Amino acid sequence: MKPYKQITEEDLKNLAKIIDRERILWKKEINEEYSHDELSAGQHYPDIVVRVTSAEEVSKILAYANKNNIPVTPRGAGTGLVGAAVAVEQGIMIDTTLMNHFLELDEQNLTLTVEPGVLLMELAEYVEKRGYFYPPDPGEKSATIGGNISTNAGGMRAVKFGVTRDYIRGLEVVLADGTIMTLGGKTVKNSSGYALKDLIVGSEGTLAIITKAILRLLPLPKKNVSLLVPFPTLEQAIRAVPPIIKSKAIPTAIEFMEKEVIMDAEKYLGRKFPDNQADAYLLLRFDGSTTDEIASYYDSVAQICLKQGAIDLLIADTDERAESIWKARGAFLEAIKSSTTAMDEVDVVVPRSNINDLVEYIHNLQKQTGTRIKCFGHAGDGNLHAYILKDNMTDEQWKNALSVTMGKMYQKARTLKGSVSGEHGIGYAKKEYLKQSMPAEALQIMQGIKKAFDPHNILNPCKVCQ
Amino acid sequence: MKILVCIKQVPGTNKVEVDEKTGVLKRNGADSKMNPYDLYALETGLRLKEKYGGTVSVITMGPPQAKTVLYEAFSMGADDGALITDRKFGGADVLATSRTLSQGIKKFGKFDIILCGLQTTDGDTAQVGPEVAEMLDVPNVCNVQKIERVEKDGIVVDMDMPHDIETVKASFPCLLTVQKDIYQPRLPSYLRKKETMKKDIDIYTFSDMQDQDEMKYGLNGSPTNVQRIFPPVSDKVQEYLEGTSDELAAKIYGTLKQKKFIAG
Amino acid sequence: MAKLVIHQEKITDAKALAAICPFGAIQEKDGKISISAACRMCRMCVRKGPKGAIEYVEGQKKAQIDKTKWRGITVYVDHVDGVIHPVTYELLGKAKELAAKIKQPVYALFIGSGITHKAEELLHYGADKVYTCDKPQLEYFKIEAYTSVFAEFIKKIKPAAILVGATPVGRQLAPRVAARFGTGLTADCTILDIKENTDLVQIRPAFGGNIMAEILTPNTRPQMATVRYKIMDAPKWNDTVTGTIEALPISDDKLKSHIEVLGVTKKKKEQTIDGADVIVVAGRGVKKRTDLKMLEELADLLGGQTAATRPLVEAGWMDPKKQIGLSGRTVRPKLIITCGVSGSVQFVAGMNHADTIFAINSDPKASIFKTANYAVKADLYDVIPKLIEKIKTGGKVL
Repeated sequence: MKPYKQITEEDLKNLAKIIDRERILWKKEINEEYSHDELSAGQHYPDIVVRVTSAEEVSKILAYANKNNIPVTPRGAGTGLVGAAVAVEQGIMIDTTLMNHFLELDEQNLTLTVEPGVLLMELAEYVEKRGYFYPPDPGEKSATIGGNISTNAGGMRAVKFGVTRDYIRGLEVVLADGTIMTLGGKTVKNSSGYALKDLIVGSEGTLAIITKAILRLLPLPKKNVSLLVPFPTLEQAIRAVPPIIKSKAIPTAIEFMEKEVIMDAEKYLGRKFPDNQADAYLLLRFDGSTTDEIASYYDSVAQICLKQGAIDLLIADTDERAESIWKARGAFLEAIKSSTTAMDEVDVVVPRSNINDLVEYIHNLQKQTGTRIKCFGHAGDGNLHAYILKDNMTDEQWKNALSVTMGKMYQKARTLKGSVSGEHGIGYAKKEYLKQSMPAEALQIMQGIKKAFDPHNILNPCKVCQ
Repeated sequence: MKILVCIKQVPGTNKVEVDEKTGVLKRNGADSKMNPYDLYALETGLRLKEKYGGTVSVITMGPPQAKTVLYEAFSMGADDGALITDRKFGGADVLATSRTLSQGIKKFGKFDIILCGLQTTDGDTAQVGPEVAEMLDVPNVCNVQKIERVEKDGIVVDMDMPHDIETVKASFPCLLTVQKDIYQPRLPSYLRKKETMKKDIDIYTFSDMQDQDEMKYGLNGSPTNVQRIFPPVSDKVQEYLEGTSDELAAKIYGTLKQKKFIAG
Repeated sequence: MAKLVIHQEKITDAKALAAICPFGAIQEKDGKISISAACRMCRMCVRKGPKGAIEYVEGQKKAQIDKTKWRGITVYVDHVDGVIHPVTYELLGKAKELAAKIKQPVYALFIGSGITHKAEELLHYGADKVYTCDKPQLEYFKIEAYTSVFAEFIKKIKPAAILVGATPVGRQLAPRVAARFGTGLTADCTILDIKENTDLVQIRPAFGGNIMAEILTPNTRPQMATVRYKIMDAPKWNDTVTGTIEALPISDDKLKSHIEVLGVTKKKKEQTIDGADVIVVAGRGVKKRTDLKMLEELADLLGGQTAATRPLVEAGWMDPKKQIGLSGRTVRPKLIITCGVSGSVQFVAGMNHADTIFAINSDPKASIFKTANYAVKADLYDVIPKLIEKIKTGGKVL
């Protein structure tokens, strides 16, 4: 592969013909935050950042980059955890955050067309004000929808509603050569050839750059009630999950959490969690029209939990009560981060019937290796977030500890028929583990697809399957 | 130890608006809940009971449907409850509310400690607690931020004052209003809810009041009259300030002074 | 007793009538209307319903009081160990203005121990008469004793209106006094006016400030109101005094108390940013860690706290507990001054409910300016030292 072209002042001039110089950041103008995402360790500055405002601009920039063999990294809010939006080969970074407009709310077809830079929190506010609901609910609310689509983000409501891919009806994308193309549309069904749109979802900017998305909406549930369920042990808590899922009352979220992480959150937030009687908790959330209707759903779930050894079920039926729990839940990542010197994460997903085995394994691994590992996650969909903490280790020790523990966790996930990433993606940080976990043939097909979309390999190189 | 907690049902949200044309209060949704500040009082009562023994009773005044907050309190651990309700109590201001409540408390029983939240989210006056204490002729301590200990004849608490924390002992019976965050309120328990959903409550009407002077209750017993309600005038500005750093410092200084962040 | 009488025959649309009630107290069943105990007697149905459908019937009339027997506006002197709280002066200013309208005197009521020599100060702020009750038993604020003194004062002087600062003391003392006299007390008034007949016009926010209510206390005296600090304007200190000081006698048996003060500890400076009234935020525009000193000085001068944006916390410059934003704390101070903060959505979501927002940034396009009430285009290194200097020389800070 021939080396990429080094960007020069000349390129800056040429790009400034495509978009206003004001929206270009060059060398010193580039903020530090563009050099990393939320978790990746190293720093990689792009040579140039372009803050695009339209598909046409993206098209012209890609055509230029394609012709001149310049790598291009798309980036939304930079809240990823695996380095997907980091310009490891420098080159051009396309910042989509200015493309943050709501284009069309179609109340006949229940779709919303948006630009990729719309933030998840803005999206939620927009639709909820109008009585609609966009179900995917990843924890990071300041992420862009473009970033969510690129990682096929999941979130807490996946148990009942599925993940981002299930809510993407159509996409407008720009291909590596600058071609603007629409995939899918407002139709509910589609049986017309290969599902290219679905392929783009979760491709982390390696196949095309998303410039518009048609999202599927649902009517907004009027009320929600959360149940915090204390269990004597984590094992009992997680054992309760399969029967809950089998029951008719499907919660929108089933999370599990342990006392230790809750205590970190208490410390981080400076406020107490509303309960401390147990070592492990399940957190369930139910949607419905009225509090009474919801209560009728969770009665059966309550019986299941009690049968599995739950100490009680605590009802969070007001905003204040829900907030006292979910605020802590939302702070877990930052809380764990602030409890140590550095950390790295594992975002494995296993069939939900196997999550207990995985959690138990990680608990023992902690004892075995002496490395602190904290985990919490989406018990309802088998997606576990485990954080390996550096604490007082030297860099050398840390590197070793990481590779040992991560290797073991991924190995275990494989034997439990799981995958490397549930919702954070592969990016740069996890691609070695993807390789190990996939049949070589599958990886080859992925590489072939990449080549078909991007023959010169300018789109987000060194990521995912490369 | 006999503990009583005064609770109130308030609208689910205080995002109310005034219709500018008619002056009518527009409420969004008919949702209601227990006054969030009362949760701290109730939690304080429950903690005292857990540590020192005794019972926690709850009392509320309001329309018949206000009994739901009593049941909510039961599911958090309260032992018994009373509802004071009568059309004759309608239109009560702080004074008439305090009078009705204190009459209801007299009917309900004798208590060592009466706990109230700092204020309600709909009225925001923070006055009912001390007024009830006066009408019951018991001492009161407001802004309690910590319970130190319970002694044989009284309770030792920390009162939050502007510059100091005053540790005071109030003899029984007494009334305390507690601050937010004295304890994190617990969540209602499903098991308790099932257990207490059919529990009897006492219902008191005008005829149960010791003081039978109708002129002391409801609208008649309310010395204050609301003349009108209107939407607040927003004084939010958006100013863009440019100039030399001296000018800007002077401008910021002037604005801070005008807004009383700087005295003089 | 006043009541609402329903005239079913005058009701055309029962459902529409039921919908008028803001408290859901009107029930409609088979076209018939009934009123439940949820009724707050707001009489909205009388005014807004079909004419005559619901009638307000006055009960027996209360005896009217003689308002001319109640004269003067009284200010309760809030203090700690004789150090007068400035809200007192603000209230004296308002009292003077109101008293001038009805041509009545302004009184101050000063209760405590060893406070008499401080009373003179109140005369300089315009009190016509200061009543002091100076007793060793009144060294600490004890609710029963203070209420007794206040009650003695009212019985003796009969003021038309009493203004009390909405401080931790005022907020518990005023209601007890009001309850003892069975009179009206309006909390947290933001506007006060007075009618010729000495009725105090009280305006206050309700429902968390979402609505304002105008309240009168037409038939009881004294009328009582509490007012928060920094709402009214303090009058100028006057060199010449015309007022006098008089001791209020009280018998010792009235000063008994069931509350015993066991100890007083100085409050530690508020360390969390969650409850702080004033916050100075450091953003990436702050170049060195040591430069935070400057912002700390500003925060100290304004009696506030410093906080930071995520990048600074991540750089280890400030405690994670001081991080504002979605992944940090949500704050709602009265004043926030952001210094060199660009204003990411993440940050803004954690502070945009502050009452007053100053944003200092040298970049005129900084997105924080969209949120700021005062967008100050300046280099923080130029303007903040000058602001600090001005505050230090220009006036004392509370």
